[in-house]
Amino acid sequence: MLNKKAKILSIILCILGILISISSIGIAASPSIVRYSSDWPVIIDPSVGSDCQGVTAIVNLFDPLVSADTKGNVIPHVAESWDVSSDGLTYTFYLRPRIKFHDGSELTAEDVKFSMDRMLTIGEGISYLWLENIQETEVIDKYIVAFHMKTIFGPFLVTLPSFYIVNKELIMANIKKPGIYDDMGDYGRGYVIDHDAGSGPYILKDFTGEYILMEKNPNYFLDINSAPDEFKMIGSTEPILLKTLMARRELEMTNRWMGSETLKSLAEIEDVEIAQWRGGGMEYITMNTRKPPLDDIHVRKALAWAFDYDMAVKLVPGSVQARGPVPLLIPGSDPNSFQYHLDIEKAKLELKQSKYYGHFDEYPIEIEWNTNKYMEKQAMLLMANATDIGLTLNVVETTWALFCSDSASIEATPHLHVLSANSYYPEAASLLQARYHSSTAGTWLQGEWLLDPVLDEMIENAIATKDKDERYAKYREITRYIIDLCPTIFTIETPERRAYQSAYMDWPAAKGEVIPVYKYDNSIRFIKVYPEKREELLKK
Amino acid sequence: MKRSIIFIKRTFYSIFVLWGLSVLIFVISRIVPGDPARMALGARASEEVLQRFRIAMHYDKSIVVQYYHWFKDVLHGDFGISLVTKHPVSEDISRVLPASFELAIFAFIFIIIIGITIGVISARYHNTWVDNLGRLAAYFGIVTPSFVFAIMGMLIFSYILEVLPTMGRLSSELIYPPKITGLITIDALIQGNFIVFVDAFKHLILPAVSLGLLGMAEDARITRSSVYNNLRKDYIVAAQSYGIPDRVIMFRDLLKPSLIPVVSILALQFGSILSQAFLVELIFNWPGFARYGMTAIIQKDLNAISGVVLILGIFRICGNIIVDWIVGLLDPRIQLIKERSE
Repeated sequence: MLNKKAKILSIILCILGILISISSIGIAASPSIVRYSSDWPVIIDPSVGSDCQGVTAIVNLFDPLVSADTKGNVIPHVAESWDVSSDGLTYTFYLRPRIKFHDGSELTAEDVKFSMDRMLTIGEGISYLWLENIQETEVIDKYIVAFHMKTIFGPFLVTLPSFYIVNKELIMANIKKPGIYDDMGDYGRGYVIDHDAGSGPYILKDFTGEYILMEKNPNYFLDINSAPDEFKMIGSTEPILLKTLMARRELEMTNRWMGSETLKSLAEIEDVEIAQWRGGGMEYITMNTRKPPLDDIHVRKALAWAFDYDMAVKLVPGSVQARGPVPLLIPGSDPNSFQYHLDIEKAKLELKQSKYYGHFDEYPIEIEWNTNKYMEKQAMLLMANATDIGLTLNVVETTWALFCSDSASIEATPHLHVLSANSYYPEAASLLQARYHSSTAGTWLQGEWLLDPVLDEMIENAIATKDKDERYAKYREITRYIIDLCPTIFTIETPERRAYQSAYMDWPAAKGEVIPVYKYDNSIRFIKVYPEKREELLKK
Repeated sequence: MKRSIIFIKRTFYSIFVLWGLSVLIFVISRIVPGDPARMALGARASEEVLQRFRIAMHYDKSIVVQYYHWFKDVLHGDFGISLVTKHPVSEDISRVLPASFELAIFAFIFIIIIGITIGVISARYHNTWVDNLGRLAAYFGIVTPSFVFAIMGMLIFSYILEVLPTMGRLSSELIYPPKITGLITIDALIQGNFIVFVDAFKHLILPAVSLGLLGMAEDARITRSSVYNNLRKDYIVAAQSYGIPDRVIMFRDLLKPSLIPVVSILALQFGSILSQAFLVELIFNWPGFARYGMTAIIQKDLNAISGVVLILGIFRICGNIIVDWIVGLLDPRIQLIKERSE
């Protein structure tokens, strides 16, 4: 019989043995994988998902009709060529034969028509790009499809790299009836929300509540031999977790919206670097032009002169001062447009011309921010600058949900709001229409409440212009018109900044080879990883 | 009155409590400002699409009619579509609830084993260094938030020592076992998949311990106090005077009555673990119920909020009924008092 001490000792030894054996059971990592930290949830249905994480998944699971090169030019992809009718109302696309969906069926013109019809019927995501413009999609041949437009839509071609093709046969087989789309039931939304219906370079392997795992498509129609075998989107942006994963080489790249402190901390890890580029994002401080005292242009101009743009640039590493409402890398922007700078004297002069001069204490002004700390810093900066000209601003943090609901009415929309917005296609019209056309008043996109019919007509006219140069000239004219109204403080062009494993990963975006706007920087087929270099790092 | 009748009566009353809760949460979630259709479909959705959505979700009807449709669907287990994930809320909940349930069970096991053990040892060796150490550990557990433990644990065991995984329920190199209960450890054991069991267990250690520390500390304090008080009762002194060994007295005579206050608080702790695990789930990227609920609140996901609160209410009520039942088993006198009062 064992005595008491021996019993206790043997129990402790058993527990230790179990713990050691548990910790020694390791799971071998896949040799060639890119793991990416992502916001959550991820909507992988191309007709529904339009946020950064959704598009990141979509760009890897589906194929667009056409693609874009690093300069933003539209290039063949599923469609190997196309032509436009002389009246600019019909676009005909000639598809590559023998492109296979992940279930083995062939991608044809029927799928393209189905995808566009489905997109327009559901009416969510980025469908607004085409909803008002496409009259009908026509299947001419197994490999020929035509889009008939209601009116001329000048930027149509540059919007199409965001148009992804879904598998008609597969979705039709999984439609649930009844649904809100009449004969089409739920239009397969319940299925595509977490099932693969694409033909893209990666196939959906696993979709859990914590990550999405994709594996390389062995039958992809383009050469992707050197691309990573797997792509994993991890549903977390928690800084402490990301740092641990990066240090253990279990995360290859981070998403956008990382705070500068987090990025700085990640960059302290050996062989983790910060990639930085400008991808068409802008930060604005919107001014509610319908709310006193900002309904007076002199007050708006005073704030625009009072803002310290140099400091704003310093607050956001990699940013540059904005020149007008459209980032300069977006075609159709105006590099010569008027640019405000910090000038307190001019700001004071503007204030003196205001009808509210001497009565500003009767009109409390609030500036709201949400989403990230960069925005808070911009708000605090304007608050500090405004005191120099005798204006008192109250900085208010708000939630995204509250901001969206407040944006629905003039009264609830704050005087000032720090807003971040991105182009959805590389042409100035994307932001000009989204930010200043009356159709977006009452949404979070337009805190200015311009409701200017002249401006609306100018925007509509520019978009309906077929000739590119003529269209761009009109965009520049619109830009000047908006700047004259001074509805917004155009603060900075924001950079995309991501931490990544520079020692064992070759990422074109990190070298500045970025395809603007479409989130192709997250297209994993362009990336190379070197597992043996990762192993070397782990052995250090 | 028989125990089973009391149990049925409590269950019957609970249905009314749940109905009241459903009315309350539905009204609160509907009267908060903002257009849920716009929130769900985005800034650029056309009015036609918005209207179709409002009609489909009955947002165009009065709040009473909305409640009627919602309640009718809930009775069929349908909480509607999440405005954020675009999945049916019931599907979302059925996915995240087992994850949190598994986490809560392991945290609960940790609370019971460690908390009660520390409490009993502290009481047994009261006012010695062992007791002081136990009390110190309990104080530390009470005053330190669980997310601090989570971060510390991750830094030490995942970042520095690299002995435990950092996140999620299972390594991505492994495949989830076919769902039986949704609890990976249990499913893996049922199917004899030891590798998956061990991997899932390793993933549970840090979040479960972080989550259970507060409860462990509370239980240690309550157990210590309860055992210490009972130690001085006449029947214990009598047993000691008969020369019955301490170990026998402890397990046969002392522990059972001393655990009554602990059991009462355990049900509340289980509910708290489910609802308050948000930060721990966030830190460890645990796809759980608390994280889902908090995200729903932040993003004004009305259907998800209603579903989450109702499920939590059901858990709380069931927990209280079970505790009453267990307490009655531990000390039949409590049942007797109830009978007399009725």
